[in-house]
Amino acid sequence: MFKLKPEFSTELSEFGAVDINACYNCGNCTAICPLSDEDNSFPRKMVRASVLGLEDKIQISADPWLCYYCGECSTTCPREANPGELMMSLRRYLISKYDWTGLSKKFYTSKKWEFGAIFLLAGLVFLLFALLNGIPVSTDKVLLNELAPWQIVEIGDWTMAALLAGLLISFIFNMYRKIIIKDENIKIPLKLYFTEFWALIFHFASQWRFSDCEMKVKTFWKNILEGKYNYWIVHWLLMSGYVILFIMIVGFLGWFQTDKIHPWWHPQRLLGYYATFGLVFGTVYFIIHRYKKDRENTKYSHVTDWTFVVLLLMAAVSGILMHISRVSQLPVLLTYYMYVVHLMIVVPMLMIEVPFSKWSHLAYRPFAIYFDNLKKSAGKIKSGS
Amino acid sequence: MFETIINGQPKIGVYICHCGINIANKVDVYHVVDFVKTLPNVTVVREYKFMCSDPGQNMIKEDIRKGEVNRVVVASCSPKLHLYTFRNVAERSGLNPYNYVQCNIREQCSWAHSDKPEEGTEKAIRLLRAAIGKVRYSEAIASIKISALNSVLIIGAGVSGMRAAIELADMGTEVFLIEKNHFVGGRAAQIGDLFSTDEKGKEIVSKLYNEIKKREKIKLFTGSELESISGSVGNFEAKVKVNPRYIKSGCDKDKLKDAINECTDEVPDEFNFNLTQRKAIYKNYDGALPDIHVIDKKSFSPGEDFLKTYKDCIDFNQKTEILNLDIGAVILCTGFDPYEPAENEYGYKQIDNVITLQQFKRIIELNNSDKLVYNGKNIKNVAFIYCVGSRQVNGDNKYCSRFCCTAAIHTSLIIKKKYQNVRSFHLFRDIRTYGKQEELYDEASRQGDIFLKFDAEEPPVVERNGEFTTVKIKDILSEREEIEMTPDLIVLVTGMVPAKDNEKVASIVKAPVGRDNFFNEVHPKLRPVETVIDGIYIAGTCQGPKNITESVKSSLSASAKAHSLLSKGEIELEPIVAKINENICEWCDKCAEVCDYDAIVKTEYKGKMVATVNQVVCKGGGMCVSVCPVDAIDLAGYTNNEIESMIDMMTKEIAVIMKKEGEEQPSGGEDIKEKSDQKMKELPEVWKSILKTLETEEKNIPQISKDLNLPQPVVTYNLMTLVKYGYISPGEMDDKDEYYFYKLKQ
Repeated sequence: MFKLKPEFSTELSEFGAVDINACYNCGNCTAICPLSDEDNSFPRKMVRASVLGLEDKIQISADPWLCYYCGECSTTCPREANPGELMMSLRRYLISKYDWTGLSKKFYTSKKWEFGAIFLLAGLVFLLFALLNGIPVSTDKVLLNELAPWQIVEIGDWTMAALLAGLLISFIFNMYRKIIIKDENIKIPLKLYFTEFWALIFHFASQWRFSDCEMKVKTFWKNILEGKYNYWIVHWLLMSGYVILFIMIVGFLGWFQTDKIHPWWHPQRLLGYYATFGLVFGTVYFIIHRYKKDRENTKYSHVTDWTFVVLLLMAAVSGILMHISRVSQLPVLLTYYMYVVHLMIVVPMLMIEVPFSKWSHLAYRPFAIYFDNLKKSAGKIKSGS
Repeated sequence: MFETIINGQPKIGVYICHCGINIANKVDVYHVVDFVKTLPNVTVVREYKFMCSDPGQNMIKEDIRKGEVNRVVVASCSPKLHLYTFRNVAERSGLNPYNYVQCNIREQCSWAHSDKPEEGTEKAIRLLRAAIGKVRYSEAIASIKISALNSVLIIGAGVSGMRAAIELADMGTEVFLIEKNHFVGGRAAQIGDLFSTDEKGKEIVSKLYNEIKKREKIKLFTGSELESISGSVGNFEAKVKVNPRYIKSGCDKDKLKDAINECTDEVPDEFNFNLTQRKAIYKNYDGALPDIHVIDKKSFSPGEDFLKTYKDCIDFNQKTEILNLDIGAVILCTGFDPYEPAENEYGYKQIDNVITLQQFKRIIELNNSDKLVYNGKNIKNVAFIYCVGSRQVNGDNKYCSRFCCTAAIHTSLIIKKKYQNVRSFHLFRDIRTYGKQEELYDEASRQGDIFLKFDAEEPPVVERNGEFTTVKIKDILSEREEIEMTPDLIVLVTGMVPAKDNEKVASIVKAPVGRDNFFNEVHPKLRPVETVIDGIYIAGTCQGPKNITESVKSSLSASAKAHSLLSKGEIELEPIVAKINENICEWCDKCAEVCDYDAIVKTEYKGKMVATVNQVVCKGGGMCVSVCPVDAIDLAGYTNNEIESMIDMMTKEIAVIMKKEGEEQPSGGEDIKEKSDQKMKELPEVWKSILKTLETEEKNIPQISKDLNLPQPVVTYNLMTLVKYGYISPGEMDDKDEYYFYKLKQ
């Protein structure tokens, strides 16, 4: 038995839900959803649970993560209740629920906290450089490693990575508690955790479900330009760029943050070019669609949608500017300033986005598929099929 | 009252229609023509593709004009289609329309016997013989005309009654408008905000009342009830009882106010559904019309001093009056009562925060602050439970009350606007905000109201839990999860039931009620405001649940019908009525007993008591004709002569043999008779063999067919006839469940 909690829909509107009460349960959204099936039927059930305020029902479900926001449901909804945006707001809500610190909820519901945190962290980075280092040493040649020795930066990287990973892992465990442990109907045999593990790796790397989202259009090329494969490809470009940079900066910083100027075809440069191309192309592409509001899934933008994509773009652009300034032998100070600016953008972005905001979908989505597969397989064993 | 015109010998014109191929491809029309030509008094026989067409009708007209025909028979489709078409042809050609008879050889012949054209043709000939037999004795009857009074009695001065009155007055009809309550407006005055226009019910009532006051042709009597009514359409006599108000007319308003203030007798206020008290000297509400107070004598017990002080206001000498009204027609606008939930239905009367929608509307109208308070409690959320007293699974009210989904949703919009932070929960079975009212449903969901759907078999459960009332519902929209809520107020959305006084009016006027106890219309689609009693019309919610728009539409219909009936000053009635021969009648009461319309009365004739038919009320049922032991009654249009002639003509032994190539046209002579007799003797041979084969054991149809070497259909046909005549009885089914076994009956 559930208790009705009508105030919940008002709470959810802070997470971005628009007009969900208009839903009259016709089910058109679920019918048209390309990713919804008999085992996971959404978004109507989620809309219903949100309207009635059945939080337990929402938190025990992996469904919000199984949606990739093609927006067909919102287009089809006869009451214009925006089920697509509701699923998006449920993801924001769940992020704030998996987070036991409470910070994520603050960032989602208060612009002051979101921007305050960004500027605070940027300010701290600036102060760090201003107070500890003073301003730079050699003024005729760019020696980044004198401004910020890579060994020290690497320690900073690892510390931050450990902290953020630790937080994120604890949040994932929270997610596990809510989806699996709290579900009294299902018991997962240990063996399944291993046999289903491949799904976690596969979906993490490929975001394969993204390719089924969106309506199939007529030709293969059309699918790439505007249909099923469009967002998936652009997103994969962006993601792969990010991952490459992440590996280079955290794992190979000595190699990546070099004061040598390699020839353009050197891997250090090529990989950087690919990564930044992916980042810039992806973020600009998404920013343009969000600005024009010309797709169902860009009609509504929460402030956190903007901060995520804009911070990423700014990080990439500041990195590019720094690189241009370095290899084109522009005034040395410019490069040093760009480096500081770059870090003033990257550090807040990572600290806020990775555990507490939109970045975390990188972890939650594959785990949601993993957990859901565990439940489905356990269910099959239980029913003997 | 009906004249018999004997214009010489009957000259019967018979017209046989092909109806395209509908008749002609099964019935041999030409053979029928040949046969009918030989009958006595038949002067003209024609056949045509479509008799109802212009050329077809002209054929008949010409023959009448030329003087060749003075009785007409058309053999064609059902009279339901073209009886009036051809009657009109007869009339236009100068013939009495009752000298026309229609013979149905389509629905009752060619269509029914499409597998047996030969037998169908024979049947068509017999039917036509009967029609000719009838028309030979048909009489030229004239319509009965009676004078009619151009005045109408309208019972009930709610929205329907007042609207009908205004319309009738504007059309020139006198109106007597009577209302049982001392104030007009009925249920509309109790609603408060109305949907569609956001006006208040009282405002509409005032508008209508003012229009009534402007029209001299309308005489309004409040505090008045119908006591009895007699007569028939065009000439009714109604007795109306008018109850006094006991307030002196022209009394000082301020003095009266003082009297009311001083008065201590209070009773539950029915106008506010017993939520408040009212004094014994009262008006339904401030601004109730007519603007005169009333003293409720039953609850009034003033002291001597009180009566002395206010002797200029109170007049207990006023007496009940009886009015005798002469009217041409009556419109019943007696309205509805809201359904009263049973004790403990959803906690009604047991739990203090469960009320009906009608009570809720009163609370809202009486509460003009910006906080909704009931029983001292601040109301933050309201749960509406729909379909209470309507669409009942285990009750008598199977119908849907139509207006309530819209009313409840509209109410939730009103309370959100008026009291701001109130949230409504709608526990419904279906949402029936039809037509333009759908927009209200959209608005209500969008404003944050929550809609939960339940099954009739598993209604919500309302329970008291200490200080709170909990409502539990199995929500179909959430996969039947049980959802619990604790609303501050529970409003039962109660529907309409017939007003409890409908029964009294129904028994006086003898208007029939349906199974749901609302007044019954003649035809729900084509004649929705008439009753089976001529001159009695129904309008508004007494006919069935509806909203104000629909009530007004029905009262406009009823006034149009009443006016068109009466405006000519006379009414034409169908002359198919019974007539009693007083010389033969010896008053045994059998005919009066059996008449559905109470059209027969006992009267005196030449010193003895006889029965007489009121031809205005008689509907030509004919029951009296058949029960009269001395055969004193005859029915115009279906006289005994006509019926007997039909029977004779239809059943006479005739030989009908289809004309074969090269054979001479038979004239109905003896040799034919022998041949048909012979045929009759053949059949029993088959019967004999079947009976023989069953002597030894039970058999089924395939077995019998094999034994006798006859086709199965032939065996089946004869076997069934034998069963019918009791020679054989069916036994068990065979193993394959295909055929029955048959055995000889002992």
